[in-house]
Amino acid sequence: MNIEILKTIIDNKKNNSEFAIITNLMTGNISIFKKELPLSKNLENYSSEINDFFRNKKTGIIENSELFIETFRKPTKVIVVGAVHISQYLIDYIKNLNFEINIIDPRGYFASKKRFPEVNVINKWPDEAFKEIDTNESTALIALTHDPKIDDPALQYALKKKFYYIGALGSKRTHENRCARLKKAGFSDEQINLIHGPIGIKIGGKSAPEIALSIVSQLVLITNNR
Amino acid sequence: MSNRVDEKIFEEALDWININNKIALVTVIKTWGSSPRQVGSKMIVNEKGDFSGSISGGCVESAVVGECIDLLKKDKPSKKLDFKVSNQTAWDIGLACGGEISVYLEQIKK
Repeated sequence: MNIEILKTIIDNKKNNSEFAIITNLMTGNISIFKKELPLSKNLENYSSEINDFFRNKKTGIIENSELFIETFRKPTKVIVVGAVHISQYLIDYIKNLNFEINIIDPRGYFASKKRFPEVNVINKWPDEAFKEIDTNESTALIALTHDPKIDDPALQYALKKKFYYIGALGSKRTHENRCARLKKAGFSDEQINLIHGPIGIKIGGKSAPEIALSIVSQLVLITNNR
Repeated sequence: MSNRVDEKIFEEALDWININNKIALVTVIKTWGSSPRQVGSKMIVNEKGDFSGSISGGCVESAVVGECIDLLKKDKPSKKLDFKVSNQTAWDIGLACGGEISVYLEQIKK
């Protein structure tokens, strides 16, 4: 491998692109594969295998060949509602995992770049903020303000858009009230039951870093089981 | 979901090269049986034998570091290595868990 290839790999990671490194284990030749780029001539014979590895995000040696293919997947997008204390710890844990964080908080004194230097912070109400973020069924939502004015619109948006993970902070009581509000707003029990509330897995902790850990654990669990 | 994308080994490799290290990149390319690290796991090694990252969780690292120093000293581009557990070598190099792994060593050229 030469340093130019190494720099290309780092750039591709930085841009969150989906790509693969294909190494010929006999010759040492390396190519960077992307869906939109044509395959080099010497790889054309393995085009269907390469595409299969890429589609299924597999890494390994292509059978009956000397080609090793390593697929890099995009980070999962996570929207955190509430630029609160727990979010700061959450980001600390999550930065070593394959997630891309966006924080929404209409309250300027919370949503400052100073408090969250490493992530995208959108200082708007959820309805406005979601216009700036591409979301789909592979997006996760973590609602942490436990203020219905801020959390509820985000939860409604996530339910409508069928986010694969939706979690909301708050006690059992808070969550019951939240469910009642969503029901009133026209959501079915089936939809409402998709919300993880109270958010997180039970690890017996009460401090902000412990709550953040319990949320991240649940997010990773659900993400891995998809 | 594999999270390999977040391990910062490529970034670290570039840092090492920028401070004038000759380095080898090691990648796990195949495993059989139980082995602690998945295919794609990586490690970097310089000529002095300093290393970062992991390919087996401690079982074959020392042998691979030696091979990397050799690769860099002889200025070879790449090499493939297989580790299997046999009775004779199990204590020296090999995976305590009884797995087998193949790794690929390559020099990163400036």
